[in-house]
Amino acid sequence: MNVYINSTGHFLPGKAVSNDEIEGVLGLIYGKKSRLKNKILKSNGIVQRHYAINNQQKTEISNSEMAANSGVSCIEKSFIPMSKIQMLSCATSQGDVVLPGFGSMVQAALNLSQVELHTSHGICSSSIMALKAAYTNIKCDGVDNALVIASELTSRLFKSSRYEQVESNEVDFNAEFLRWMLSDGSGALLLENKPRAGGKSLKIDWIKSFSSADVYPVCMSVGTAKNEVNNKTWQDYETYADAEKAGALLLRQDVRLLDNIVSVGVNGFLKLISQGYINTNKIDHVLCHFSSKHFKSKIFDMLETAGASIPEHKWYTNLYERGNTGCASIFIMLDEFINTHDLKAGETIFCMVPESGRFNCAYMHLTVAG
Amino acid sequence: MEDNLVLTETGQNCLQMLLKVWLDFDLAITKVPIVRRLEQGRLSIEDYQNLLVNMRQQVIEGSRWISRCASSFDRNYSDVRASIIKHAYEEHKDYMLLEADYAATGGDLRVIESRSKNIGSEALHGFLMYRASQSNPVDLIGAMWIIEGLGNKMSMKWSKLINEQLNFTSKATTFMEYHGENDDNHMQELYQLVDRLATSDENVADIIRTAKVVAKLYQLQLEEVDNDN
Repeated sequence: MNVYINSTGHFLPGKAVSNDEIEGVLGLIYGKKSRLKNKILKSNGIVQRHYAINNQQKTEISNSEMAANSGVSCIEKSFIPMSKIQMLSCATSQGDVVLPGFGSMVQAALNLSQVELHTSHGICSSSIMALKAAYTNIKCDGVDNALVIASELTSRLFKSSRYEQVESNEVDFNAEFLRWMLSDGSGALLLENKPRAGGKSLKIDWIKSFSSADVYPVCMSVGTAKNEVNNKTWQDYETYADAEKAGALLLRQDVRLLDNIVSVGVNGFLKLISQGYINTNKIDHVLCHFSSKHFKSKIFDMLETAGASIPEHKWYTNLYERGNTGCASIFIMLDEFINTHDLKAGETIFCMVPESGRFNCAYMHLTVAG
Repeated sequence: MEDNLVLTETGQNCLQMLLKVWLDFDLAITKVPIVRRLEQGRLSIEDYQNLLVNMRQQVIEGSRWISRCASSFDRNYSDVRASIIKHAYEEHKDYMLLEADYAATGGDLRVIESRSKNIGSEALHGFLMYRASQSNPVDLIGAMWIIEGLGNKMSMKWSKLINEQLNFTSKATTFMEYHGENDDNHMQELYQLVDRLATSDENVADIIRTAKVVAKLYQLQLEEVDNDN
């Protein structure tokens, strides 16, 4: 059974927020402007993004509602009604509630009946995990179609009040870093077991991922205090308030470890070449979820020398205008890419989603159906 | 990349595979306990001294296999021989930097001079000398690739991390840093050798095979740093 992406949709909350307006939304920590902000924005290249919280840091729309909105926009462009959806597969880094799974909340928001449900939990690559669960289910004839939704509402973690709760009174670099990287949004894909003539259908050739959590320490996390050595995590504190005071609820990126994501990503890429999954000469478009425009390195030079690089004009991204929406990014990117390109039958699209959380990298190959 | 580095098709194919072997090796050694401590900021001064003691035995023998490798290339490969002799000459006194570093950490030179090779170094050295003794040992490009790559990792990453976590009264990471200085030249020479020698599928297979064996034995050498032997 072949599997096709037959429709896509996305939802970005509110109006676009420019670099100058970010602190007006997220708030000034202790009333002071960040000294780090411009440096990080310069390096990631993002010029605007969207937030689900308003200028008073109040949530305007929940994560599951954003997810539902992107799901609706996807189905409205498709050949089937919402009532025919057989599987709902969702991904997020953090739902609105800790339990139950994000998928349950999205299903309720979409008012879907009797669907098979899946939720994958992780960071950026969790959307591809949710996609793979849906893909394999259709592939083995379990269902005829599946709606896959990835959604993120990280801005709630970046409110100035969060940082002001930490007892040490200092904002460490690793906790502030992602404040200038991540924003909110949602993307959705409809998968079906047949292509749709007259529509744009992308056949999913394969989805693969390689995780290196056994090799590296945690690089991006919520749940431990800065420099925690005793494996104490947020629920191990007497009260949740204590965990917050200790800084265990801040989203952190260990930037010193970040470089490793490049070799992890390239390693998987070379593995797929050697296993015959990828022929770099036959890739027409590359959609890579990268968090920053500065990620070139020696390894990329070597790839170039080894004739394994893909020319820059084949790369597409909307990171700079839509922001880094974590796991939702790749779906939001695909949606805009498909709608802004006149794709011809046989053209190939290679997607790559590296996740720095604990170093997972997911890859996907698509071919435009004729 | 410079224009003169455009590689032949088999050369590019070989380089792609070498890069893959390197990245697998890089992942594998990241899990080796002493490397884990080094990269995660838990290295003790004794660890660093021990690492130097263990590496010294390999480095001092390193010049032997490269010299022998050069002499095993016949008249048809005189250009290759010249390039490898140059390489051997440049590195044959590296162990002295390493010993000076050891002394700078407060180590007793008699210890580093008298220690025998660890089990991994023994196997690595044995394998390299065996391959270097074969006629026209084209495959040893694979060994140079791994060892050059590790030198680059030491200079770019390890030396910085060591200096961040340990305090020395005088410079004690010259051996690791030294490899970074000539790195671009060495890489260019290596690219040229790949171009010159990865001329058939058979040669490429031999080069990759040897790169894999050397990677595995180097990993063993690092694993053995924590063992008394």
